[in-house]
Amino acid sequence: MRLDKDLEIVDGLPFLYVKSLDALVCSDVHLGYEGVMAGKGVFVPKVNLKRIKEMTKKAVLLTGAKTMIVDGDIKNEFSEVHIEEFNEFREFMRYLAEDLHVTRAVLVKGNHDNFIERLKPGVKFESFSEEALLGRYLFFHGDELPASKKGSVLIMGHLHPSIAIYDKLGVKEKLRCFLYGKLPKGRELIVLPAANYFAEGVDTLREDCGEIAPIFKDFADVGDMRALCIGEGETLDFGTIRELRSI
Amino acid sequence: MIDYYKKPFTAEESLSALNPVLRAWFEKKYKGLTPPQRYSFRLIKEEKNLLITAPTGSGKTFSAFMSILSSLFGMAQDGTLEDKIYCIYISPLKALNNDIYKNLNVPLDDVYSTPKAEGLKRISVGVRTGDTPQSERQKQLRTPPNILVTTPETLAIILNSPRFIENLKDIKYVVIDELHELANNKRGVHLSLSLERLTEYLERDFVRIGLGATLYPLEEAAKFLVGYKNEKEERDCYIVDATWDKKMDYQVMCPVKDIINASNDQIDKEIYKTLNSVIKKNETTLIFTNTRSGTERTVFNLTRRFRYGEESVAAHHGSLSRESRLEVEELLKKGKLKCVVSSTSLELGIDIGTIDDVVQLGSPKSMTRAIQRIGRSGHSFNDVARGQIIVINRDDLVECSVMLYEAKRRHLDSFTTPMNALDVLSQHIVGMSLNKKWKIDHAYETVRKAYPYHGLDRKDFDRTINYLAGAYVGLESRRVYGKIWAEEGEFGRRGRFTKLIYYLNLGTIPDTVSVQVYEKSRWIGGIQEEFLARLKPGDIFVLGGRLYRFDYSKGMNCYVSRADARMPTIPPWFSEQLPLTYELAIDIGNFRERFGEAVRRSVKNSKSVFSMLKKNRLEPNEDAKRILDEMPIDANAKHSIFQYFAEQLLFAGIIPNDRLILIEKTADKEKKRNMIIFHTLYGRRVNDALSRVLAVLLGDIHETDIGVAINDNGFMLVTESDVKIKKDEINELVQELVSADIAAMLRDNVRRTEMLKRRFRQCAARAFMILRNYKGRQISVNRQQVNSGMLLGSVEEIGRDFPVLKETYREVLEDVMDLKRTKEIIARIKKGEIDYRVIETSAPSPFSHVLITFGEADVVMMKDRRKRLRELHKQVLDQIKRYSR
Repeated sequence: MRLDKDLEIVDGLPFLYVKSLDALVCSDVHLGYEGVMAGKGVFVPKVNLKRIKEMTKKAVLLTGAKTMIVDGDIKNEFSEVHIEEFNEFREFMRYLAEDLHVTRAVLVKGNHDNFIERLKPGVKFESFSEEALLGRYLFFHGDELPASKKGSVLIMGHLHPSIAIYDKLGVKEKLRCFLYGKLPKGRELIVLPAANYFAEGVDTLREDCGEIAPIFKDFADVGDMRALCIGEGETLDFGTIRELRSI
Repeated sequence: MIDYYKKPFTAEESLSALNPVLRAWFEKKYKGLTPPQRYSFRLIKEEKNLLITAPTGSGKTFSAFMSILSSLFGMAQDGTLEDKIYCIYISPLKALNNDIYKNLNVPLDDVYSTPKAEGLKRISVGVRTGDTPQSERQKQLRTPPNILVTTPETLAIILNSPRFIENLKDIKYVVIDELHELANNKRGVHLSLSLERLTEYLERDFVRIGLGATLYPLEEAAKFLVGYKNEKEERDCYIVDATWDKKMDYQVMCPVKDIINASNDQIDKEIYKTLNSVIKKNETTLIFTNTRSGTERTVFNLTRRFRYGEESVAAHHGSLSRESRLEVEELLKKGKLKCVVSSTSLELGIDIGTIDDVVQLGSPKSMTRAIQRIGRSGHSFNDVARGQIIVINRDDLVECSVMLYEAKRRHLDSFTTPMNALDVLSQHIVGMSLNKKWKIDHAYETVRKAYPYHGLDRKDFDRTINYLAGAYVGLESRRVYGKIWAEEGEFGRRGRFTKLIYYLNLGTIPDTVSVQVYEKSRWIGGIQEEFLARLKPGDIFVLGGRLYRFDYSKGMNCYVSRADARMPTIPPWFSEQLPLTYELAIDIGNFRERFGEAVRRSVKNSKSVFSMLKKNRLEPNEDAKRILDEMPIDANAKHSIFQYFAEQLLFAGIIPNDRLILIEKTADKEKKRNMIIFHTLYGRRVNDALSRVLAVLLGDIHETDIGVAINDNGFMLVTESDVKIKKDEINELVQELVSADIAAMLRDNVRRTEMLKRRFRQCAARAFMILRNYKGRQISVNRQQVNSGMLLGSVEEIGRDFPVLKETYREVLEDVMDLKRTKEIIARIKKGEIDYRVIETSAPSPFSHVLITFGEADVVMMKDRRKRLRELHKQVLDQIKRYSR
């Protein structure tokens, strides 16, 4: 789904493609999730990295992107670097470079990405601790407000947006979505859905988004945002959150 | 070999099997032997495995213990009684254990106060359950009791307690009480494996004594008790059936003369009036209501309508605190309560003193349960047990009437044991690995000696080993995931925390997840998580007798506001009610056929018959009368049953039965929907499966969602009124059904339901895939269920044979539904043994009214449900009127 001349959502995937940067953007990958869960006593078969790889491959094939931007929370644990995170991170970076020939990897640090520097030895990537201004785009994770006033399009993650809708017989369906809309003063905002397989997402129709992502507290009204949902192999425009909430 | 022991021993033969001192005590204390004692004294003395079934209050527990005490007393006399455990007594109820402790010490006190016992070592009894304090446990470790009273879960822990297990070396007897509460569920499956592990540890057999109330088929229960001695043969076991030795007097009471035409208030009023008349004439009455909410409502109504005080009427059910339940039990024993209302909790053998009369409000859904409950009354075993069922609607009436009629003919329904449950197996394999290093072949043989695993596929066993060894994850992660190691045909324990995980997570009873409901900041109550999953904003539901509108939920909290509506918009999707047993369903089918034929002869579809019916003046012919007179039911019941059948015949011309399925294509004009009603009286477990398959088939044809409602008597498929379904299409639908691969279709359909996710989480917890307690930290259910849907998806990547997934589907298809019987029924339709007839009606026929209102059938909303019944009924009568004109 094309958003404007330069921006496109890769159909059916939680990836944004920025033409001028020749970059794919995703967020909230949470590598090492299963290992961290095992540490909490839950056996979760390893699926996430496999799925992330499959999705990335598809997105690279469709766009030919040479740059990969992860807009925060590439890993899962707050307080340490789990061995599984370390292994999966390296595997993902190797896969990007060697199998998909992505030449540039950019990480914007999220709230889960502490100690990410420890992952550096032997792996080539650029990391930004708060936000990254690339071209007219300001990338930040979203757990805090961006400091920079620059950039005409703000791109964040963190919220794990989704919408829960009900069919005629009352069965609930939860769909991950991009949020896309205007901010005051003409800037644009894009909120990326979580790429992590296990993150079902926050129901933006019913939960207080401002509590999770401060940008929706005072700066922007989530009701103005359009929900662009990830369907099967396509992206579907469900209209604005306000409209959806009024049903 | 499993064999019945049918001829009781004489009193002398029985008593001479006892130690002389105990015999003297027994003869002084009791007038004679109860039926089970006439078998047990001798057979246990001969060290036979024994299954005794007898009603509660028949002294069956004591009949087993008398012989054991006798043998131990002999050892005390010989000076060979040591501080060792010789007997383990296991019951599913902690409360029962305390009773047993007391009941054993009474005779011991007596016997040891006689001169002959002077100076002898006293036989000791100890209770060990989850509630036993640490100090007592330590004491038991130092000085083990001769008789250990415990629960299935604690036994499993003992098996992995390296020091305590030493005390079990001299076990001679294992007594399992309330076997009927274990043989049909995973707790019992768990216990059966514990017993095989104990046998394997001892490298010898011990005497197994099983005690149960009504339990059928007894041969299967005996196999469950004793297991297998090798590949082919069961261990030997004698069966003693004293089920029918208690005299019983019971009947169905219909609160009004015409339950079909009586008003809501009238029925309600009469139910409580009838109830009160029973209460008034007795010292103590026990009322069963099937559900917890029903219990609360009954207590509320009794106190409000008849001004009973809190001191004379009390509730007893599983949601109440342990303290308040104990208090009620104490009051009962002292004979201080006029009436106690219970859901199921007083069904088991807890000592509750003397009950004069048992009243069952609404169908208990099984003949066995009805007998069991009624058996709770009567001063002593020789007294007649008295009981009545007060019915609440027309289908309930027919169901209960057939139920008691069949019980009189000694016809019981059967139990089924969950077979090859891989989640319970996982727990035990972890437990076994903690004991020692095992050869996988040997472990497999050991497991297969347990009845529920005798047919276990070796591949499933190996997959379970592999799962626990972490073989389904990459090699580098095995350290994190594996709870055992397995290589070169052996397995053993892995990881520092495995033992702790085993102790803290053992057991088979799932955590129930309660979502907290708030109105603004005020807490209102809890609802089940699966109920929340079905709520969408704006839905109106009942909680604590009030109506609330669902606003939104956040995590495990749910926010609502007060609603002024008359009816809830969302029915309770998960019924608290137990399903009707298959045997009883078939019995009702037979009755429908027999009685339907008789009624047909007294009813002609003519104007005069109709007007007589309407005036309540239509009388049954002789045949119909004779059938009704054979049944233990009151005059109101007879009248209402006849009325009900006559109406169905006049309206539809067909009384469906177990060999004739009526399919009714009709419409609900008020709600603008089409309905196809299937009168399939096979019980909810079969109807659940049948309805899903047909809904899938119909949905595929019309590419639309199909609403489904089920109950024990049938099911209906619902579509929006713009979906046009032709009558011929229904024939085609049935043809498709008989050639469908229903197991595959069900698996596919069930995959998308909340039920599967919930069951999956429970299986995963039992299989230690999700831990409730990790390293001593309680993990909230909230945390556990993080994305159980996603977790399910990830497990599916591994494949359908992954043990936890396989078990989840097995549980849903075999335990929740009844796939086996569904297949049988479909095969019989194919062969023409079961016929079906499709009719078109302009309003639903009388036999479908309870089913249609099932959707509104919340027990709390009984009133509105009846209202709906009445409206439907009116529609039908209008219809009949038009026909007869």
